[in-house]
Amino acid sequence: MKKRGKGIACIFYGTGYGNGFPDVSRAYARLLKDGKVEISVGATEVGQGAKTVMVQIAAETLGLSDKDIVLINEDTSKTPDAGTAAASRQTYNTGNAVKIACENLREKILDEAVKLLGVNTKVGLHIKDGLIHVKSYPSRNVSLKEIAENNKELKAEGIFTAQTTQMDENGQGAPYWPYTFASCAVEVEVDTETGEVKILRAKHVLDVGRAVNPTLVEGQIDGGFAMGVGYALMEDIGLKEGRMTNGSFEKSIIPTSLDIPEIEKVLIEYP
Amino acid sequence: MNLKKIDVNINGKDYCLEVEENLRLIDLLRDKLHLTGTKEGCGEGECGACTVIMDGEIVNSCLVLAFQADKCRIITIEGIEDEIIKNSFIEEGAVQCGFCTPGMVLAAKSLLDKNLNPNEEEIREAISGNLCRCTGYNKIVSAIKKAASIKRGGDSE
Amino acid sequence: MNELKIVGKSIKKIDAKDKVDGTAVYPQDIYLENMAFGVTIRSTRPHAYIKVDTKEAEKIDGVIKVFTYKDVPGKNHHGVVLKDHEVFASKKVRRIGDPIAFIVAETKEIAEYAKNFVKVEYEEIPAVFDPEEAMKEESPKVHDRDNVFYHFKIRRGDVERAFLECDVIVENVYKVPMVDHAFLQPEAGVAYLDEDGRVVVIASTQYPHFDQEEIAESLGVNKDMVRVLTPAVGGAFGGREDITVQIHLAIAALTLKRPVKTIYSREESFLAHSKRHAMKMYYKTGALKDGTLLALEAKIIGDSGAYASWAMNVLRKAAVHATGPYYIPNVKVDSFAVYTNNPFTGAMRGFGATQVPIAYEQQIDILAEKLGLTPIEIRLKNCFREGSETSTGQILEGFIPLERCIEELKSF
Repeated sequence: MKKRGKGIACIFYGTGYGNGFPDVSRAYARLLKDGKVEISVGATEVGQGAKTVMVQIAAETLGLSDKDIVLINEDTSKTPDAGTAAASRQTYNTGNAVKIACENLREKILDEAVKLLGVNTKVGLHIKDGLIHVKSYPSRNVSLKEIAENNKELKAEGIFTAQTTQMDENGQGAPYWPYTFASCAVEVEVDTETGEVKILRAKHVLDVGRAVNPTLVEGQIDGGFAMGVGYALMEDIGLKEGRMTNGSFEKSIIPTSLDIPEIEKVLIEYP
Repeated sequence: MNLKKIDVNINGKDYCLEVEENLRLIDLLRDKLHLTGTKEGCGEGECGACTVIMDGEIVNSCLVLAFQADKCRIITIEGIEDEIIKNSFIEEGAVQCGFCTPGMVLAAKSLLDKNLNPNEEEIREAISGNLCRCTGYNKIVSAIKKAASIKRGGDSE
Repeated sequence: MNELKIVGKSIKKIDAKDKVDGTAVYPQDIYLENMAFGVTIRSTRPHAYIKVDTKEAEKIDGVIKVFTYKDVPGKNHHGVVLKDHEVFASKKVRRIGDPIAFIVAETKEIAEYAKNFVKVEYEEIPAVFDPEEAMKEESPKVHDRDNVFYHFKIRRGDVERAFLECDVIVENVYKVPMVDHAFLQPEAGVAYLDEDGRVVVIASTQYPHFDQEEIAESLGVNKDMVRVLTPAVGGAFGGREDITVQIHLAIAALTLKRPVKTIYSREESFLAHSKRHAMKMYYKTGALKDGTLLALEAKIIGDSGAYASWAMNVLRKAAVHATGPYYIPNVKVDSFAVYTNNPFTGAMRGFGATQVPIAYEQQIDILAEKLGLTPIEIRLKNCFREGSETSTGQILEGFIPLERCIEELKSF
């Protein structure tokens, strides 16, 4: 017989290393001769979209297009340490380091623009599409390329440390920040003779802060959901006296396209 | 080791090669020809990362011996010029770590070459031999739907 | 807030084009001039003293060198928190899969063939596979210390008194097994010396700067002499936090002064990297008639396998998340990380916060059923809101939208 049922679950999750561990990300921003900006950061792209997100954050902060950002993240001799690509920490922690580096670079660029534009202060200058304008008189402007040509090298660093505190001997303290929240619902069909469970549909609601790239966020929900399905219904390395009896893809089953339903995804955004 | 002589067409180019009897097709492609878009994820035909199209059918190149490709036409990811499928994968967010992607694109290509109007189930069936650990498959399914729609002459949305 | 122009937009993933074209370079895709190939000899026993003889293998034509612990120029250890992994097992293996030797040969075929000629003599000793057994005084010791290497406590309110006040108490034991990350790209890497004499290691990793430090320590060189290049990484999920190929390749490249490559098979990948912690979770949860959660007591035992990796942090995270996202005024949690002779466990997506929901969410559903409440009602009654205090006494400030997350499910 086949029976159907629905269930829900909620979680919270503290991001980052936590518990007072030095959770530091560093990034460099540098104005290149062609007016583009190079971001050096040791955040690894493991598929999650770190490269894309860092470029978006840099472009937004500097008023540039994503095409004007050159990302260097693949060589430890060229990039500063941005911590590990884990614990959901790269977008928040390293993203903030990139933002700070770009804000610092922006100030230096504006200082130079003051000289070239012949204005008395950088207050009221803003960067748009690679040009620095006097806000109330936009035809007075100078390009990032001109600024680069007039200067040896403009560069800046950004450092961001996520604040957490170590817990005491009773486990009291503020070990993580920020926490994220989520809820999930599924409807399943169970074959009461074989025990086979089929997931018919699902809904996933996730507190994401501000989604830097909604498609990438949805990709994390889809992928995390599938990994959860595997964990709940099929995966087990099958230990026997220390030996994995399911230590290959032939034996160790992970979900296929046929095991995963479409998922209705809701991103709760703030601000 | 016995060597066998084979004539094989790979991505439209004719090759006349001498291969060891026990050489797998995937090793021929990767190690000898450096067509490294074909990936090895398990070596036992379970994951589909090594998918190539052989005479119009998708096969796991880790399960085919190189000499079995004699007189065959092989298409690897390097030979796929189907920008509609590739762009759909990019636009729909169907790519994360990318290791399954070449195999997925080839599975999609093979499906859409035969059926321009697949339903959801047919799409899921067509890629069910290709494992992906990152995307949960849904965005790959939408990418293939989108590519099919464009190929049928529909608009891109 | 200013209007955002790029943040918030689903721009195309910038590495996607190379990946659909098949031109993205993973470490297995790298072929260099004069490149040798390495394969790893691994322990086949869970707990044994070993003696290794590489002489026969090194006589084989085409074998360049067989590396063992004697060939590690610096420290023969690594580990993300405790340095309890050996680069190559010296006296003792602690799990099936421990690396013992690294054969470097002119070709992969020769290296594979030479595997048959590396003699490893095992003197097996009693092993322990069940963490609760391992916690006992008399059990075999995996390392030269107590198998319980971490105990974390949360103490809040008065659990004993609170359970007396509860109208309903639910008590259950939950067990979750070890699972594998199963990222699609098996470990692989290439190492060589650059023109400045630095050791360059190209490998899929999550944290290149930490790898750089660990490699330098095992090479006995300053870390500026090590460069880690990150190619395309075929998924990670925590499974690339610990060292696998990096140090072996670096030692071989530095010693032989030529490029060396290795690629793990899927089976070896299973043996080489960490697993998700198996956990046994004893849970007791109590509520009042109206569904208000009053008390929770949990004991969580995490199987760390043969090495610590991130176990302390994972078991701590499990404990911090043990209540679920619900306000409970009286909480007592004890979590333990325990060595066994199983595969070692480490980081995997969720990092301890993934195991505990299996327990706390089933507990809350069972409580709801006993109290005649719906799963949504009981959760809305107890869920964290702005200003709620967690079991560690942390006050949740800012935007805490869990209530909204739950409300969203009402229409499902």
